[in-house]
Amino acid sequence: MRPAKLLRVAKWEVTKNAGGVDKRTLVVMALAVLAMGAVAAVAVSGGGPGLDADIYRVGVDESNPYHQVASEDPSFRVQAPDREAFERGDQDLTFYSANRLSRPQTEKQSAALEALRSSTESYNDRTMARADNQTAAFPVTVTLVYQEQNGTSTLDTSTGGGDTTADDGNGSDGPSAGGNGTDGQTSDGATATGGGSGGSAGDGGSDGNTGGGEAAAAGGGANLGGIGAQLTGDVESGTPGDISPPFPFESLVLAFLYIVPMNFVIQAYGSSMLSERLNRRGELLLVTPASRGDIIGGKTLPYFLGAMGVATAITALLRFSGIAPSGSLVAVAAVLPIALLFLAATFCGAMFARSFKELTFVTVTITVTLTSYAFVPAIFTDVTPIALISPLTLVVMDLTGRSISLGAFAFSTLPPLFTALVLFGLGAGLYREEDMFTQRSIPLKVLDALAGRIKSRKSALKMSAILIPFVIVAELGAIAFLFVLDSVSLNVFGTNQSLGIVLVLGVVAVVEELGKSLHLYAGYAHARYERTLRSAIGLGALSGLGFFLAEKGLLIVRLSDLEELPIGDAATLGATPPAGVPLWAVALLFLFAPLALHAVTAAISSVGARRGRWAYVAGVGVAVVVHFAYNLTVVSALA
Amino acid sequence: MVARRDVRSLSREKTIVLALLIQLFVAGFSSFLVVGLTSLYDPGSVSAGEVEMAVTGDARDELLAAGAEHESAAMTEFNDSREAQLAFEERRVDALLNASYVESSDGPGRKISVTARIPEGSLRSTLIVVNVRRVLETLERQERFERADSLEEDPVPLPPQVSASPYFGFTYTVLIPLLLFLPAFISGSVAVDTITEEMERGTLELLRVAPVSLLDIVDGKALGMALLAPAQSLLWILLLSVNGIRVANVAVILLFVTAVAALVVTIGVVLGVATGKRRPAQLLYSVLTLVVFGAAVVLPEHPATTVAKLAVDSPTLSTYATVVGTLAVAILAYAAARKYVGSVDASAF
Repeated sequence: MRPAKLLRVAKWEVTKNAGGVDKRTLVVMALAVLAMGAVAAVAVSGGGPGLDADIYRVGVDESNPYHQVASEDPSFRVQAPDREAFERGDQDLTFYSANRLSRPQTEKQSAALEALRSSTESYNDRTMARADNQTAAFPVTVTLVYQEQNGTSTLDTSTGGGDTTADDGNGSDGPSAGGNGTDGQTSDGATATGGGSGGSAGDGGSDGNTGGGEAAAAGGGANLGGIGAQLTGDVESGTPGDISPPFPFESLVLAFLYIVPMNFVIQAYGSSMLSERLNRRGELLLVTPASRGDIIGGKTLPYFLGAMGVATAITALLRFSGIAPSGSLVAVAAVLPIALLFLAATFCGAMFARSFKELTFVTVTITVTLTSYAFVPAIFTDVTPIALISPLTLVVMDLTGRSISLGAFAFSTLPPLFTALVLFGLGAGLYREEDMFTQRSIPLKVLDALAGRIKSRKSALKMSAILIPFVIVAELGAIAFLFVLDSVSLNVFGTNQSLGIVLVLGVVAVVEELGKSLHLYAGYAHARYERTLRSAIGLGALSGLGFFLAEKGLLIVRLSDLEELPIGDAATLGATPPAGVPLWAVALLFLFAPLALHAVTAAISSVGARRGRWAYVAGVGVAVVVHFAYNLTVVSALA
Repeated sequence: MVARRDVRSLSREKTIVLALLIQLFVAGFSSFLVVGLTSLYDPGSVSAGEVEMAVTGDARDELLAAGAEHESAAMTEFNDSREAQLAFEERRVDALLNASYVESSDGPGRKISVTARIPEGSLRSTLIVVNVRRVLETLERQERFERADSLEEDPVPLPPQVSASPYFGFTYTVLIPLLLFLPAFISGSVAVDTITEEMERGTLELLRVAPVSLLDIVDGKALGMALLAPAQSLLWILLLSVNGIRVANVAVILLFVTAVAALVVTIGVVLGVATGKRRPAQLLYSVLTLVVFGAAVVLPEHPATTVAKLAVDSPTLSTYATVVGTLAVAILAYAAARKYVGSVDASAF
């Protein structure tokens, strides 16, 4: 790869290709965006009814106090009360008199009554706001203070306070509480919290403890500020109706903010890559002195820079608008592996797809899969090791001002990064004249990509090692998804393990066997290997050896304490020896036994693969069963 | 004939099987999705176990009375505020409420000032805050009642509480319109793809060698895509009813979805023929459909509201008017599009 050539290809991609968009298109798009802006302005200013207008029909007299309530709420349509209409189902709520209300029977009628109840509450609040005697109108004021609790719950794996909020919450006195800079979220800034705590200290009615000034780090981590009214420490303001609970899934918001733009980038990128394959257009670039690496790198670079640019812009916007003032380059660095993974998967998809229709569906699959990989682990913010599986957690941590250790950063970003690199490598194997312009189905193309890297028998070792990042990412994803099932216990074969662990072991067995044997099958299908029994067993052993060596990469999970969770411990079997075990047992358990296991199971699959597709499936099936049994035994024995 | 060929080619591509599987997966989890998405919309609707609250301060009797009305809140009285603090820190209680009387600055008399301590965290603290809010709102109501003499307008008494599905409104006003309109937009996108792909590959020439004109080709493709959308919407409706969500007025809804799909496919087809290249066509398609859908806000009734009202069985005159209006617009638009396509010189591709 020569930088000069790479940059030239990149320049051509931007200027000559420019998304295939000409001036006329750009003008129309600009006009459309302006129109959208106008529409948005109209919608926001309240011109036009809301989405839930006229959903429920209420029959109420004008003399009834509820008539006013229902007329002010657009989701009700007010009619004259009519018993027959109610029974016919044309009315959902009917007031027979001021106090007699129809009893709800269907789900819709119950929902209408509930809606009327909450509508009455807001109507009352509005009425009270107009009252002269405000003390009687709003007799209760509330101050919300967020504080850490010390006890441990079953979900806490980090020993008390290891979770990196700088706010200690206990025993800090007034001045240091005010100086606690972690809360970028209070709209009034740090001084107000200090003043607020001091204010409540000076309040005659409150007890000494509030005066002790525990730092009110306004929901540190639980609220991206700006969302919902946040009560600060001012005793005078804040009625119960003003309380807005912290937004529970801020990672979902971030997922949309950072990941949705990537969808558009990969649409354009996939389109560009696929058009190289139509009508042999890509041949022109292939005959130039630029190497494959230059071409692929050059074509990818603009889109990568675009995605990173958008991520940086979003972070800057969040930082300088005050919503997340502690956002920094760390957040952008955490998004980098996700962007690369998106691009790499799309590149492979474009190399595999046969038409734009197919590419669209492949892109949708990629988006759904990678978005869930990014989003689901981040839900478990209480359980840091699981949450760190997704790089989005790093983004959340950075934006809410928590410090991130290098180990956590590495654990979160390295698996997706390596997977992206492997995907680029596999796709690049197909970027040549013999493969680019052929129309083979996607499964066959996958085998082509794998076989393209096979040069000799030693390739079995190399390929197993190369596919390790996929295995790691798949296993981490499985841990995150199956984590919730950890509490369901199950007595499988008398081993008394939880459902989550059994399922994870199953997934681990399947993923690892596929990783060890798929490239062997590809090699056989492309006649790269001899189909003799001796050769098959030898290849299996090599594949197992390669896998065993590279599997030590699973040691990365040590960086995140994933093993403190039972499910994490079971899945990363063999990554770390337990303490207090004699050396010979350690050597047996963690060196020889896994090596033997991998070699044997890979050999089984290999023997099946040399015969054909269905024999391969059978072989893999047997290997999975053997592997699963081994895992279950070891987990139960070590438990 | 062209329509049938296109639809059949779609079914042969294995990736559409994948897309359908994804849709099935999403549909199967629609209940889970409803709960998950609703918790964003309204965190209070996710029910939890009991929330333990410690109550201290001189106004604690009133607070206890308010809490007694709520089953999900378990109140424990503490005479010593330090003990209450300890209980909170050791996780024996979920929230610490300190209620005391203060002089009000807004008017005569005293107010009750409550300081609520909530644990930091994410999901748990949201649930706790929601429960605390409910208790405090009850307290506010009780206090207003006691001070009713000082108020000119009495607050309206609350209607009886009934156990209603909290997801009802969300399901019918947001989820169902989303699910039913999605196939229409996908159809339009695929329509753009099929036309521009034929042009970019040069296979349009081959199609035209058969005694079919460009207009016939476009007609066939548009028909295929426009009919696919209501079929998918029907599938969604069936899946929703299996999940216990009833949809009313199915026939009218499908007619409406067909009209919207026809309109959107017309836009796609015109863009495809006008630009002749996939990327600008797709880009313009996405932007224009967004604008059109957004601009529908200025209509007396938004199409999403139309679907919601039909599905929940509260149709009004404006609902039917919207359906008929959209149908009319779709027919006119398609007629205009046919005229345009007929005037295009097909040998240019």
